[in-house]
Parts: sequence; structure tokens; C-alpha cells
Amino acid sequence: MNLTGKRDKPQGFAPPGTALVETNTVMPRVQAPLRTLVLALTVMCYLAAIAIGAMLLINRAVEGWTSDIAGEITVQVREIEGADIEQELAKAATIINETSGILAIRVLSRGEGLGLLEPWLGKTAILDELPVPRLIAITVDRAAPPDLQTLRVKLAQSVKGAVLDTHRRWQGELTAMASTMRWLAGAVLLLISGCAVALVVFATRTALDANRDVLEVLYLVGARDRFIASQVERRFLTAGLRGGMAGTLAGLLTFALMSATGRFGAPSGLAEASSRLLFGPPETTYAAYLVFAIIPLVATVIALMTARWAVFRILRSIF
Amino acid sequence: MVRFENVGLRYGKGPEVLRDITFELEPGSFQFLTGPSGAGKTSLLRLLFLAMRPTRGLITLFGRDVATMSRSHMPDLRRRIGTVFQDFRLLDHLTTFENVALPLRVAGEKPESYRDNVLELLNWVGLADHANAYPPVLSGGEKQRAAIARAVVTRPELLLADEPTGNVDPALAMRLLRLFVELNRFGTTVLIATHDTHLIAQSTAQVMNLDKGVLTFKDGNGAS
Repeated sequence: MNLTGKRDKPQGFAPPGTALVETNTVMPRVQAPLRTLVLALTVMCYLAAIAIGAMLLINRAVEGWTSDIAGEITVQVREIEGADIEQELAKAATIINETSGILAIRVLSRGEGLGLLEPWLGKTAILDELPVPRLIAITVDRAAPPDLQTLRVKLAQSVKGAVLDTHRRWQGELTAMASTMRWLAGAVLLLISGCAVALVVFATRTALDANRDVLEVLYLVGARDRFIASQVERRFLTAGLRGGMAGTLAGLLTFALMSATGRFGAPSGLAEASSRLLFGPPETTYAAYLVFAIIPLVATVIALMTARWAVFRILRSIF
Repeated sequence: MVRFENVGLRYGKGPEVLRDITFELEPGSFQFLTGPSGAGKTSLLRLLFLAMRPTRGLITLFGRDVATMSRSHMPDLRRRIGTVFQDFRLLDHLTTFENVALPLRVAGEKPESYRDNVLELLNWVGLADHANAYPPVLSGGEKQRAAIARAVVTRPELLLADEPTGNVDPALAMRLLRLFVELNRFGTTVLIATHDTHLIAQSTAQVMNLDKGVLTFKDGNGAS
């Protein structure tokens, strides 16, 4: 009889000729701590899947934003007293067009410039009185980019009030944010792994304490620590796999649900990103599925190795 | 094979339960260990099957000093010893067959290599029909026979038995004694701790008498 009060096998006498009942491990099934462990590993693997998924989403978003930003630069031309801003814009456009590595330029009208400020300042009459700089959006050839330093100098020398904005600062900030998020996700994964290790140690100790008499008999008939460890490990192998797979599947389901919310009018940014993560083109989803598939394997390895280490440690302390 | 020199044992800070125990078991010898309840027989057997270490004195098993032996070498020695425990120590979650085969399984043998031998042994001790039964449904005598079968299944060099006939009828007790004698004839050193004076009288083996932690010897005829 095990801790749950259930019998491992039906008991009774075997009629002559009946096949022998042979179990694959000599350790009894101690259900209580292992069931708790499976549940805890499920939750941890779920959190790990969410953390990894979030990290993948952030990486892809930052990659996309950085790519967009790196492909565009802007020239701002401020109104300078005594200078005709339209003439200055034309001069700037000429200089830019003469520069190699430029794919396209677009001079934004004053109205378009004001439109960019509207989300922050609202649609007020005061906007018309503000000396809003005029913008030139430039698309650069990322394969053969222009010499930005030379362009900056030329613009400064020839165009009054012209400033070249390469968006480097934004790129730097986005990269720094992505890096911070990566570290944060890494720290979360580390914490989850630490908790998993602690739980497995606790479950191993509980399982061994509950079977102290079994361990004694095994010792007295000549069992080595590694034999006992191998018998205990089998229980943790299934616990790790079951918890890992359940948690990861729950994580995947969460992302699938988030992608489905886009269809019901929920904010679409996250929904689109989740959708791309799971249901995008195979060349991009392949890596994501591979990372998710590793989660149950890592959980199993953690459960197995920790249980083995804990068994050796506990056995040495009690015998 | 086994040598005790001035061995003493105490539990915690209590009084010594074994005092200056000195004896030697020659290879292939057969002896009984007797004495009143609480005399220290089980403690002496626990020292012999390496379940504990003495408080003082020297114990040599198979030519090796137990006190200086590392933990990793203990299983090798234990595999050379067969033990019948007074409380049987059968594992309730394993069948009778699996309990009896346990020492072979622990030693890394494959079931195919020992299945027939174990079944034959179960047949010999009258448990062939109980191979798939679990210990909780066995009677005291059946448990005892299963425990004995487990102790002898590896044909150990040293057999230690704590009250091995305590729960069986006289006829079966004699049959089990014959099994021990048979094993002894094949070279196994046998030490049986028992209260059963009738059993002792059936043999001419040396009798070790333990009383209040002190060991004395008698020959098979009862002379000191």
C-alpha cells in the first residue's frame, strides 16, 4: 500500500500458471509528493513558456522597429529669421539627392508636420502659429548606406537651420530596452529553475522519508546508492515530462488565445505578434516551436538530475 | 570469516548492550546464538549484517576491518551475507516472487537469468502458489518462509537468521533447519539466533549464549 492508501497492484494469490507480476521499479509509488511536483512543474513550465514567448515577441518587435528606423533618416529644417524655409528645403533636397546611397526622399508639407504633433498637442489654433520645423523623410540603401557624417556637414554648411537626425538615439534606447527585457526574462527563467530544483529536492526528500523502511531493506540486501537513485529517478522522469509538457502546452494555448483575441476587436498589437509567433511563416515559427519544445526536456533534465543528486545526498546523510 | 574482538555497543548514552564480545566464526561453521529476550542477540546480528557500527572493539568481516571500511564497499560485503530478519522486512508493494528475487535484482541480474531459480526456491519453501501474492495477505509463517527464501536466494557465504522458525510449526521448522544445514554443507557459514531449544537440540552445532550483553559458549552437547 502506498501513501495515498491505494494499492500498487491488485493483491491476492495467483492461480497456478498465471504470469508473474513484475514491476519495473522496486520503489513504491509515492503519489502525494509526485502529484504536487507535477502540478508545480506544470505551473513553472507555463511561466517559463510565457517568459520565453514574451522574450521572442520583444526580440522580434525590436528587430522590426530597429530595422525600420535604420532604413530611414530625417532632415529637420527650422525656420530661421531672414531665410525662406521653402528655398532652404529645396537646397537640402538637392544636396540629399546628390548623395549616393539614398533610395528616396519625401519633403513633408507643413500640414503633414502639424499632423505629427496633433496626437500630443491636439487640434488647436495655436499649432498654426508655432514655428514647426519642416521635415524631409529619406529612405537609405541599407546595403550601401550614405556617408552620414559628410551629409551632416554639407547640410549644416549649405542649408540654414538644417539638422540631420539619424535616429541613432532611438535605436540605442530600443536596443538597451530589448537587452534589459532579455536579462529580465533570463532572470525569471533562472528563478523558475531554482524553484524547480528546490521543489524536486523537497519531493525527493519526502519520497525517501516515506520509504525509509524500503531503503533500509534495499541497503541490507546490498543495494548501492546508484541503484536506489536509478529506481527513484524513474518516478521523477515521468513527473518532469508530464509537468513540462502540460505547462508548455498551456503556455502555447495562452499565446494562441491572445492571437485569437485580435478577431474580437481586442488591441491588435499583441494579438498580431502572438499570431506571428505561432502561426507565421514556417521559417520564423520554426525557431519558436523549437524553443518551446526544449522546455519539457529541460524540466525533465532538471527533475532527473536534481532527484539523483538529492538521493545521493540524502542517503549519505541517513545511512 | 567473522572476528569480533572486545566489541562493545551502546545506543546513544545508554548502558552497553553488548560488552567485550569476542568470538570467531570459521568459514563453513554452523552455530546457534541463544539467550533470553533483551540479551542483545538482535544487536549482535545488526553488527554482523552491517546495519550499525560498534561503539568500541574490532569487527573483521571477510578479512576486512568494518570500522575503516568506506561506505562504497559496504554493498559488496552485504551481498555476501544473507539475512533473515525477525520482523521479515518484506516490501509490501512487491510480490512474494519480487521480494525473494530482490537481492539478485539489486545485484544487477536480469529477470530471465534468475526467474526459474527463484520459482524453484519458492516451490521448495511451499510458496509457489503465492508467487504473485503481496506480503500483507500472507500469514506469519508464509512471510517467514519468504524472508528465508530471500536470504538464501544468492547462496550467501554467511547466513544470519534472527528467530527464523518463530512463526512456523515444528515440522516446517525442521524442514527449514534442514535447508540451513544443506546450505552449510555447501560451504555457507550459518548463525541462527533462536529461543527454540528443541531446534538447537536437533543439531550438534556450537551454541553461543548471550546474557546481559555477555557472550559464553557451549558445544552442541550443552557443555560450557
